[in-house]
Amino acid sequence: MTFWEEFLPALFKGVLTTLEMLAIAAPASVALGILLGTLRVYGGRVTSLIATAVVVTFRGFPLLVTLLLLFFGLADLRIYLTPFWAAVLGFILCSGSYQSEYVRGAIRSIDIGQSLAAKAIGMTKFQEVMYIILPQAIRRALPGISNEIIYMIKYSSLAFVVGVQEMFAVGKHFNSIYFRPIEIFLTLAAIYLIMTTTATIFFKWLEYKLRIPGIEMGV
Amino acid sequence: MGKDAVLRVEDLHKSYGKLKVLKGVSFEIRRGETKVIAGPSGVGKSTLLRCINLLTKPDKGRIWLEDVEITKPGININKIRQRIGFVFQEFNLFHHLKVIDNVMIGLTKVKKLPKDEAFRRAKEALLAVYITEDLWYKYPAQLSGGQKQRVAIARALAMDPVIILYDEPTSALDPQLVGEVLQVMKELAKKGVTSLVVTHEIGFALEVADELMFMYDGKIIERGPPKEVVFNPRHEITKKFFEKVGRLYGERR
Amino acid sequence: MPIVSPEFVNYVPYILKGALWTFSLTFGGLGLGFLIGVPIAVGQAYGGKIVKTLLDVYVWFFRGVPLIVLLFLFYWGVFPLVFGVKLSALLTSIIVLGLRSGAYQSQIFRGAIESIEEGQMLAARAIGMTKAQAIIHIILPQALRIAIPGWTNEYAILLKDSAICFTLGVLETLNRTRYVVIATGEALIPYIFAGIMFIIYTYGGTKLFNIIYEKVQIPGLIKSGGM
Repeated sequence: MTFWEEFLPALFKGVLTTLEMLAIAAPASVALGILLGTLRVYGGRVTSLIATAVVVTFRGFPLLVTLLLLFFGLADLRIYLTPFWAAVLGFILCSGSYQSEYVRGAIRSIDIGQSLAAKAIGMTKFQEVMYIILPQAIRRALPGISNEIIYMIKYSSLAFVVGVQEMFAVGKHFNSIYFRPIEIFLTLAAIYLIMTTTATIFFKWLEYKLRIPGIEMGV
Repeated sequence: MGKDAVLRVEDLHKSYGKLKVLKGVSFEIRRGETKVIAGPSGVGKSTLLRCINLLTKPDKGRIWLEDVEITKPGININKIRQRIGFVFQEFNLFHHLKVIDNVMIGLTKVKKLPKDEAFRRAKEALLAVYITEDLWYKYPAQLSGGQKQRVAIARALAMDPVIILYDEPTSALDPQLVGEVLQVMKELAKKGVTSLVVTHEIGFALEVADELMFMYDGKIIERGPPKEVVFNPRHEITKKFFEKVGRLYGERR
Repeated sequence: MPIVSPEFVNYVPYILKGALWTFSLTFGGLGLGFLIGVPIAVGQAYGGKIVKTLLDVYVWFFRGVPLIVLLFLFYWGVFPLVFGVKLSALLTSIIVLGLRSGAYQSQIFRGAIESIEEGQMLAARAIGMTKAQAIIHIILPQALRIAIPGWTNEYAILLKDSAICFTLGVLETLNRTRYVVIATGEALIPYIFAGIMFIIYTYGGTKLFNIIYEKVQIPGLIKSGGM
């Protein structure tokens, strides 16, 4: 078999694994980001403190450290995560923390009149946040959130350090056997470029679809 | 509480740090009445209104809404606010909701009415303020100032409140748009909607208000039928404030 | 398995020495990125169609490909096979970090340049400056100041990305931590320690840049642009 006949099928499997990780981690990170951002603004003393601690930690740690911590570090505590789930959890915590900053900023940028009007018609704090504040804040945070998801696509390549057989792991493996770095890594580069470019177009479209005159999305 | 009194305010005090904004304000409003509070800027008129629906907490004093003392600790503020309509100077329409949804959301989410009933009431309220169907599916940003404020009035009206508080409703509007909002407010007042209005529009007070309260330095220093307070005031300060207005509307004794 | 043994404390100096490599990578990449980013930004703001397109492709490539792919591509492929040179892991890392950071920094500077009112350029031309003189003496000095907050952000990003260079064998902080984990058999405390060190390095650098930002502000002019 030629090099390509061996490489491409294996690479395809790797791409599927990458997509699998992202399919779970991306939505979950958005959810976490919204949760942490909201808790930091509206949470009580303890809750917002915990949320802040989470954000400061996982923004401050390099993603690599988080991944190694989840896979190897937790093992010290007898908590054994599989490579796949250690990686996915790492992505969620890291990206979610970065996204929470955009959400938090967006919430704080909503003018106080919206909150007053919600109160004035008798809404509870919960109703106010759910029906009036968050729908506006999430739209404002969307550019930042999209940005972070695109970062996640690229940083998914680090999952190999905990043993996940995703795209990059396959490329690295084949390079060590066949030693064809230009072909292998340019192919990987091309695939990543297709993914990130597609995601960029998708998010631009999403921003367009969700736009509401009067709510500026560039905050 | 006097019979048929909808709102009673007793000895309201409020300070912001060292600045005392309300120094003991008391009054009563009966069902169907329209009362106007006027006075120089910064004397605490807005603060007074915001204390009434407890957006601001007064330091001292008591407030009754119908027979319920709403300043009592432990009271469910949200339930009380459902019965008080509030119209803001800056409209504060919900940016992300279409006009019809702005009016409906209080009915569906707060009053928990079924959707068709909420829609019916919202329609009624919007038509009462002359917002026609072609505007119902637009976003606030697409409306003029006058249209926005009328939608805000509809939003308050749709909740079927026992009283509507207006906080300088026309101050943020371009002059040519003030008229349409005042017109709506006058009609509602004439229909018997109990209203408390903070405004500079003395013409409005002269036309439809049952009482004009002149507020100065945190207190109501003069009150009475609008024509009397404006053209025949007892205090010097009141006289000075309405001097210019008197010239505008012609001196009548 | 003990969670922390006194053994780890002995290795702390070893890990801390990695700061030398971590900061070499970070500041090397930041500096090279600056030298690349400013010309790209100027080219994108003022250049003709062809120049803009070429620069756009460069930015698109270096922002769209993961860092680790770039590192392996250049270290194993481009430098030895295309250029026939054998560069050290550290040098290759700095160059790749610089090429990539240049792409990101160019967007920061471009935003800053575009946020400066047209009037500045018009006034410069009006007193007889060429376009180039105007850019160098009038536009850039203001743009670079505006860009400092965005640049500070780039510093924080590069600091964390420097850890990825361990895959080429650079003995920076994370790589050393990994060796300590292998040596002691514990992972929890060493990695938490490494994480905390990264936070400290980030915080220190950010504070430094904030001080510089304050110092170079033009009195009376408050602007924020770029990122």
